[in-house]
Amino acid sequence: MIDAQRIDLSFDGTNLVLQGVDLHVKAGEFVALAGPSGCGKTTLLNLCAGLVDLPAGQRLRVAGEQPALGSHEVAYMLARDSLFPWLNALDNAAFGLKVRGVPIAEARERAAVMLKQVGLGGSEHLMPKALSHGMRQRVALARTFAMPSPLLLMDEPFGALDAQTKLQLQDLLLQLCQDGNRTVLFVTHDLSEAVALADRVMVMSSRPGRIVADVQVPLARPRSIRELQTSDDFRHTYTQVWKHLEEGWVHHEG
Amino acid sequence: MKAETLRTLAQHALFVCVFLGLWEWGARAGWVDPSFMGSPLGIITFTLENLTSARLWGDLGYTLLAVFASFVIGSVAAIVTGLAFVTWPKFEAFCDPYISAFNVLPRIALVPLFILWFGLGVGSKIALGVSLTFFIVLSSTVAGIRGVSQDHVTLTRTLGASSRQMFFSVTLPGAVPVLFSGLRLGVIYALLGVVGAEVIASERGLGQQLAYLGSTFNVNGVWSLLFDLALIGVLIMKLMNWIERRLLHWQ
Repeated sequence: MIDAQRIDLSFDGTNLVLQGVDLHVKAGEFVALAGPSGCGKTTLLNLCAGLVDLPAGQRLRVAGEQPALGSHEVAYMLARDSLFPWLNALDNAAFGLKVRGVPIAEARERAAVMLKQVGLGGSEHLMPKALSHGMRQRVALARTFAMPSPLLLMDEPFGALDAQTKLQLQDLLLQLCQDGNRTVLFVTHDLSEAVALADRVMVMSSRPGRIVADVQVPLARPRSIRELQTSDDFRHTYTQVWKHLEEGWVHHEG
Repeated sequence: MKAETLRTLAQHALFVCVFLGLWEWGARAGWVDPSFMGSPLGIITFTLENLTSARLWGDLGYTLLAVFASFVIGSVAAIVTGLAFVTWPKFEAFCDPYISAFNVLPRIALVPLFILWFGLGVGSKIALGVSLTFFIVLSSTVAGIRGVSQDHVTLTRTLGASSRQMFFSVTLPGAVPVLFSGLRLGVIYALLGVVGAEVIASERGLGQQLAYLGSTFNVNGVWSLLFDLALIGVLIMKLMNWIERRLLHWQ
């Protein structure tokens, strides 16, 4: 689904942001991209979304094509909920479909189904200002999942939430992914989140960002975030990922 | 809550009555000179007489028409220019020194020129109103559009929105709150420009009547007209608030 080979990227022509990045994500896989802040993980995600232009001569294929804005194969989700304050929950959830040309009535219908799935049935007509942070991010999830795009690019979607809400939404995300055949590339700086959600955790070093480790997560699905916290496999993988992250950091400092 | 409102209202009524009573008493006792300060009863008498005169309503209509025309012309021109500025930043950079120079110019100084060009009638009043409204609405249009949430723009770009979709679904609604505060100021400045131009030289209008009453030492009349103008300002603000509440109910 994503195929990147030895990507080098620089914004100013001299300082590399990404260096020799290989990234291969198979269809149906959930891959977390973890790393210290400023390591270029969001930049890598934005390359896949077509938000950052791919330098000439670099090879990156997303769903078999050169990444481009507006590809129906891809749905993008940001850290902040970025709901439109002038639209109610239903119209916010339907926004992606509407922009992609789905007739309004049908878009709303599909959005309403998604709102139910994220636990917001009955809140369709509430405006964002009337929703809590967690509820707003639920609407954003509904907006993302209402689109049938097979590839989801997520940029720390739970980064701004409190710990408890975060756990609930992580569980919800796992549920939503279980239903559809979605491939997810999930950027986070939270290692326990990366291990808990993903099939594979790619660890990046500080700038210039390189992939320093590719760790398989040996946890069976379906998973429950709460139960994972006490699992030995979880703790073992977490320690392993943490070690790689530290190495990538130390290497850079030295 | 209701009792609280009543109490506040009673306090203000008491204050106004005492103030007017002292003023009237002072005027009669000769402590304040009624030919310079007027007197409350004189003002009320003038106002009641003025209300029944066709002259007042004609002047009022003339002034309001000029305010409305200045506001509409000035705002539409400003919004169009603002959109052009945001779309072509190089055009904005080029225009900037001229806009800045014009913006610091005391606009009232243009009245002699406007009278020369547009005559003593409504044209010169509208011209001054427009010259004030335009710059205020222009800067709020540009600020409003530049202030649109980057998250909204990023998200909408990834969805592959056309520029038309981007403008109508994201840019315009996102800019309206700031734009509207500019429009609210713009209408008050349109009133300022029109009345100012009328006071300087005019055939009709509340400003002209005000200037006439002042130059004939009719102080009660001047107070009465000032009261009318304040009332118009308040009513316009109420109307703008009402429109804003309907338009920005989501805030």
